[in-house]
Amino acid sequence: MNVVRSRKRLPYFLVAMAALLAALVVASPAMSQHKAQTLVIWSDHDRLAAVTKVANAWAATHGVSVQVVEKDFGSIRDSLSTVDPTTAPDVIVGAHDWTGQLAASGLVLPLYPSKATLAQFPKYTLNAFSYGTAVKKLYGAPVAVENIGLVVNTKLAKVPTSWANLEQQALAFKKKKSGNLAIAVQQGANGDAYHMYPFFSGLCGYIFGTNRAGNLDPSDIGVANPKFLKNAPLIDKWNKEGLINSAVDSGIAQNAFLKGQSAFWITGPWNSDTLKASGLSFKVVQLPRISCQSVPFLGVQGFLVTKFATQHGVESQARDLVGSYMMTPAAQLALAAANSRFPANTAAGKQVTDPVLAQFGKASVGGVPMPNIPQMNAVWADLGTAWVKSTKGAGATPARASFITAARNIADKIG
Amino acid sequence: MSTTAAPASAPAQATFRPSYLARAIAAFSGWPGLVVKIVFLSVVNALAFWAATVLADRSNWPAFGLLVLSTVLIDVIYLVPRQPGLIPLKFLVPGTVFLVAFQIAPILYTVNVACTNYSTGHIISKAAAITAIKENSLEPAQSGTTYAMAAAHDKNGDLVLILQDQTSGKTYVGTKKGLTPIPRASVTLKAGAIVGAAGYELVPVKDLAAIGQKLTDFRVPLGNDASISPQGFDTAVPLQPTLRYDPKRGVFVRISDGAVFRDNGLGSFVSSSKEELEPGWATHVGFRNFSRAIHDPLIRKPFLRVLIWTFVFAASTVLLSFALGLFLAITLDKPGLRFQRGYRSIMIIPYAIPGFLSLLVWGGLLNDDFGVVNSLFHIHVPWLFDPYWAKVSVILVSTWLTVPYFFLVSMGSLQSIPKELIEAAKVDGGGPIQIFRRVTLPLLLVAVAPLLIASFAFNFNNFNNIYLLTGGGPATNDQPIAGATDILISYTYKLAFATGKGNDYALASSIAIVIFFIVATISGLSFWRTKSLETLR
Repeated sequence: MNVVRSRKRLPYFLVAMAALLAALVVASPAMSQHKAQTLVIWSDHDRLAAVTKVANAWAATHGVSVQVVEKDFGSIRDSLSTVDPTTAPDVIVGAHDWTGQLAASGLVLPLYPSKATLAQFPKYTLNAFSYGTAVKKLYGAPVAVENIGLVVNTKLAKVPTSWANLEQQALAFKKKKSGNLAIAVQQGANGDAYHMYPFFSGLCGYIFGTNRAGNLDPSDIGVANPKFLKNAPLIDKWNKEGLINSAVDSGIAQNAFLKGQSAFWITGPWNSDTLKASGLSFKVVQLPRISCQSVPFLGVQGFLVTKFATQHGVESQARDLVGSYMMTPAAQLALAAANSRFPANTAAGKQVTDPVLAQFGKASVGGVPMPNIPQMNAVWADLGTAWVKSTKGAGATPARASFITAARNIADKIG
Repeated sequence: MSTTAAPASAPAQATFRPSYLARAIAAFSGWPGLVVKIVFLSVVNALAFWAATVLADRSNWPAFGLLVLSTVLIDVIYLVPRQPGLIPLKFLVPGTVFLVAFQIAPILYTVNVACTNYSTGHIISKAAAITAIKENSLEPAQSGTTYAMAAAHDKNGDLVLILQDQTSGKTYVGTKKGLTPIPRASVTLKAGAIVGAAGYELVPVKDLAAIGQKLTDFRVPLGNDASISPQGFDTAVPLQPTLRYDPKRGVFVRISDGAVFRDNGLGSFVSSSKEELEPGWATHVGFRNFSRAIHDPLIRKPFLRVLIWTFVFAASTVLLSFALGLFLAITLDKPGLRFQRGYRSIMIIPYAIPGFLSLLVWGGLLNDDFGVVNSLFHIHVPWLFDPYWAKVSVILVSTWLTVPYFFLVSMGSLQSIPKELIEAAKVDGGGPIQIFRRVTLPLLLVAVAPLLIASFAFNFNNFNNIYLLTGGGPATNDQPIAGATDILISYTYKLAFATGKGNDYALASSIAIVIFFIVATISGLSFWRTKSLETLR
């Protein structure tokens, strides 16, 4: 036994040494990683280069280092509530309608930009990022705005002068050839309340009313308000005429417009590159007024400072980058152009030369920011479904009934 | 199957040639074995060391202790020589470690989450929530003004703020004691920013980050609890709290009307008039989520309908695809069939394409007005828009995806059935159908039955098929959440992420546990039943 033991002593020593060496090699970069004062920013793929450039320009003058991490845009909001605090971001890019959920969970910090800075932004862009049940606060720096509009193929149709004119042109075009669509607006089996919103608002529908303090009131649901219900039979008429068809999904709508099988397409600036590349002659306008003004949902994208910035001891840095530097016209232009959107800053907006973006900007007039309270989660599916049920062609449910059902379901879910 | 060399037809060659497997095992003995062992253990120790530093850094001591203990245990088991008691452990430990890490730990974690209120609005800890509520209660001063700010050092080297009111243009110096006006002329401005102040030394822009934490904590008191606080490096705002935290009583008091907000035991501060402060915090709430699943009509009402449909979906997918797969396997098993390999390869195609892709493609093919299926056959079936047809579509597409699996399994099992048995049955005068029913199928089921159970359990939770093809839709009129094709798991997903106030992880976990018990019960019962099949052998 003794002999064996002494012979084995050497390997033991080797094991210990090798293990320690390997461990140190592996562990040393991990240990030194977050000690340095680094600002971590989560950005989506499209904006990665622009964010890196803007953040580095800021960092260079302030003696800070930044680390920009690429994330899938859609997953940023929910990742923030499950992320490990040590590697968590200090600044995130986000959509304004996340504000409610993030603020209600205490994951983002209120921002107080200077008066001079705030004056450079349209009121609605700031409202879009504001949330609070009692005191309303700004939680994000708006950077880019987006909205959908009616894209008209000017070779196939004239820019409609009124709703009746649009209806007449669209139906006439549909009759020309089988396979033609009247208005290409995407829905699919599960609906798309976002793209249907101009029609919804045109028929005087609204999602949430506002209370006396000017905040959105989740107990006032306007999905089946009396004015809208009075106009609802129009939807049944459109369904019968085939003006709108819920079987059209995003692929079919895009395809139809690009192939000249539809003269009208409801879409947003994310397709502006596709439109330009298509070689079609087109113009973007707001959907004509139906019974009320047919306004689109407004989406605002921007940057938010997370509560982790405080934990990491970089709160001042993050506030300066987001609440001051990123709100300047130059930074706004660079950040908004990264995914071909219109900048939120008014001065930056004046410098936009892209005619398509400018047309989308005009189509936004009077638009409604997507509700940013968490209760909006309960709305999307039911509102989309109500449209699908009433515009699926033969066997469709009368719009009055389907929107009343939707309103009841939404109220049940909000509780 | 056999890597064993030395075929029976060559008995003349008497030299012993061990199999590759045996040689591979032999490599683990003697000094090469020692090297392999040292390398493996070093890697394990290195990983453990790295994990331990991370855990220690985060002060997660229970996990740290567990890690150190198990690493020491592993080292002892593999390094202490010639201890007969330890030898079985050498084989048991790796499997046990993986079982604990990948099965038991997630289940325990899920159970833990199910007993909390972890959801939107209840994500952070109580201490963090109190900080956040304090921060959220700050209200900008009545005047609504903001200050241009520059950090500076006074003659004593103390940090002060040079401030300019952006409404009145008046200039001040802010210290930890208060606000003192200084002559407007002593401050140099450039494009609205303060770039110099007589008698003070401004902190260079490059050094601002270094005093970032000091700036974050800096407050210029204005009296009445109000104070000016820096927001970044060049702006400061006067803020007034609207709530006061009383740490002794653990309550928030609203300054304007004295309303008291108490901890309601469910992770929120609530006033007597049911007003709630945001954010709340994550805390244990016992079996509340389970009782909610039973009592909340929103959850309870469609539960039975969804449960029945889940069974129908899983069972019909498995049975249909097994029947079809077996039929094809028998058909293509015919000896002398031309292009046999070609047919077999074609059969595998649905299996080879990623399901995510084919599900989306099927969604397009089945489109009501524009889909290939309807236009090819000149029919107008509302495949995805009608509640009943959508169910048919889901089952058909799932079957399409699963058939190749059962085709492969059946083909393999058929070949393992001894031909003599079938010959014997023929001699005994059995017809083809009788032989199939009495001989082939029972023998086949011995091998395939566990796979049928596994496939059932898989389809019971087949989230992808439902979510990517129909999204659980189309909607039905009877209730808001569950669509016509929602199975339990997709229904749970919708419950957790598309209702009320954002994401309810705790509720989702509790229903996931219920589903776990349902699937475990079915699988357990089925395996117990198939034991009787094995007696056939």
